[in-house]
Amino acid sequence: MKWIKIEKKDFNRGLSALAKAYRLLGPVKKEKAHAFEALNEGQTPDFDFFNTHLSPKFLVQPQSEILFEYSLDEGKEDHHILKEIQKDLLPRLVVGIRPCDAAALLLVRRNFDASKYRDPFWVGAYESLTLFGLACGAPCATCFCTTAGGGPFNEAGLDALLVDAGDYFLVRPITEKGEGALKTAGWENAVDEKTALDIVTLLKTAAESRITSTVETDHLKNQSTVALYDAPFWEDVSFSCINCGTCTYVCPTCWCFDIQDECFGYSGVRMRNWDSCMYPLFTLHGSGHNPRGTKLHRVRQRFMHKLKYYVDKYDDGIQCVGCGRCIQSCPVNIDIRKVCKLMNSHPDPSTVCPV
Amino acid sequence: MIEYNQKIREIAARLLKEGKVDMVIGFRKGTMPMMNEPCFIKKPEQANLLVWDSHCGINLANYLYDRKEKIGVVAKGCDSRNIVTHIVENKIRREQVYIIGVPCTGMADKRRIALLTQKDGEIREVSEEKGRITVKGDKFNKIFEKGEVLQDNCSTCLHRNPVIHDEMVAEPVPEQTGIDPFKDVRETEKLPPEEKRVFFKNLVADCIRCYACRNACPLCYCPTCFVDEARPQWVGKSVDPTDTMTFHFLRAYHCAGRCTDCGACERACPVGIRVRQFTKKLNKDCLELFNWKAGLTLDERPPLDTYKPQDPNDFIR
Amino acid sequence: MEHIGIEPGRLQFSWISSAEATKFVDVARIVTDAIRALGPNTHFAKKLPKVA
Repeated sequence: MKWIKIEKKDFNRGLSALAKAYRLLGPVKKEKAHAFEALNEGQTPDFDFFNTHLSPKFLVQPQSEILFEYSLDEGKEDHHILKEIQKDLLPRLVVGIRPCDAAALLLVRRNFDASKYRDPFWVGAYESLTLFGLACGAPCATCFCTTAGGGPFNEAGLDALLVDAGDYFLVRPITEKGEGALKTAGWENAVDEKTALDIVTLLKTAAESRITSTVETDHLKNQSTVALYDAPFWEDVSFSCINCGTCTYVCPTCWCFDIQDECFGYSGVRMRNWDSCMYPLFTLHGSGHNPRGTKLHRVRQRFMHKLKYYVDKYDDGIQCVGCGRCIQSCPVNIDIRKVCKLMNSHPDPSTVCPV
Repeated sequence: MIEYNQKIREIAARLLKEGKVDMVIGFRKGTMPMMNEPCFIKKPEQANLLVWDSHCGINLANYLYDRKEKIGVVAKGCDSRNIVTHIVENKIRREQVYIIGVPCTGMADKRRIALLTQKDGEIREVSEEKGRITVKGDKFNKIFEKGEVLQDNCSTCLHRNPVIHDEMVAEPVPEQTGIDPFKDVRETEKLPPEEKRVFFKNLVADCIRCYACRNACPLCYCPTCFVDEARPQWVGKSVDPTDTMTFHFLRAYHCAGRCTDCGACERACPVGIRVRQFTKKLNKDCLELFNWKAGLTLDERPPLDTYKPQDPNDFIR
Repeated sequence: MEHIGIEPGRLQFSWISSAEATKFVDVARIVTDAIRALGPNTHFAKKLPKVA
């Protein structure tokens, strides 16, 4: 395993070299929280943060994205034809994305890049990204990545992993893309493998031991779907929910969208906007029937989707990476950790012998 | 205000035991510092779940309508005014609610506290006692006077005591005096039109159209909100700046003359937008043009509901 | 509306009954001239959505 050392005072120089080949993005301190933004010439990303307020999923799936355009003007040659917008797919490098968010993108990719359906917009945007992750040295109280299939130093979905070791960074190239980017940056000062690994392992263990939040997911797969669906705790869980959609918007693993056409005069566009299963109209049928007409239905569906349906469909863990954003942003403090525990430990009546 | 805990629990247990109500809506302790979760209890034994402190900013009147049960609800000043508005608007019947009135000395703004302790590190625990809030982290321990960290609307509140109640949890607290709740609105009114436009454009720049403000608001109970209408579609669903601005000011208009400035909208907003800048202007206009404040009495109908010959109309040619 | 930045004079109100045809014509003229003097409206005017 190759480990490269970058003195912090040399970091900017490497970034400038990268800026010639990629558009750089990184965490930037805004007034109230950090956010991922394009880095200007000479701007250093601010790594002094737990995580950004909104997840970086907008880099691949912008909140409002125009997909097609059309013209109704019969004077034009291509009138009444839906034309795909040419997307700007120039290479972008994100420096400072957390392991949980990178793993989330992989998780979401299952939905947009399946054998039967391939979303060219999502996949195109994703493949134009090179992700330099920043390992979490100090996870916060709402982080539970270690029990959600991840970890503060995890490498899934990343092209390289940066570890902050005080005066310098240790970087490990993970993919060919990562290797190439490190070379472009001029960061090639490899160090002794064992020494580097020892330092990283020490930091990793320290970080993992700081995580106090956990979820239990071992029984979810074996739970009967119907038993969970009919469980009595949903009324209590969903009572406070105001169906605002904040959880879905800050979540890096939520992917639902709505397609809309908007026009002005003779021209129009077809676009895709983030949508939320929390909204009453999400499942409104053309007939007027709404299968998830009540709050309880919708809250139950969200947790079932994340913690049961996804588990059953892909057999690879829950649809959650433990970033904790929903817990921090929910205005009424609905906590996925609590719901997961309720679901995981729910008694399954089919395994209980009738007396 | 944590002194109210015991009384609220005792009242809730008694009401349920005597069958006066089918459920009591209040708060239970949250899983994070500075957060409490609205909850309901149906059995007297569950009364010990209920808590009350300076982090109960969410307006519980939001959970009252479209229910068939007899409900006991813990209500502070602004909440009680919203309940009055609901009754006047025929959304709930007076007999259906048993109002447990709480005289409120203001709610703490968790964002303000977080900003004041930003450099110190993560907040691990927040507690309060006798008007002082203690914020603890791994390496710090700060104490704030509650007045320093109040929510914006609480610092200018003129109706801290419930205006309607079936039982009070404690003696009424003295109302604040000498406060101009519309000071910031007056400042904005003085700006030239261009600057006003920029001010409001920047205000909603971060909006992600999650509608948390609308959903947390007890007044927003339309079966289909105007932003959700599709035939015809009044407002686009994307984050286009014009559509976003339209949503905010049109929602403010729908709350005009009804808003009690409870602050639930600002509290719910995930990106911290000061949405009350829209509704406060309309509240000020209602006060100055119609001498009206929402939710103070069950006997009068709001100005947008009634016509009086002396209604101001000098702006109509 | 003026509070959120629409210029004074762009939004005008008038009570006109169906029997007041002359008044209707007068008001239409006055308002059209006033708005023309203010120039085209550039605020809150949406054509196609300004998004990504």
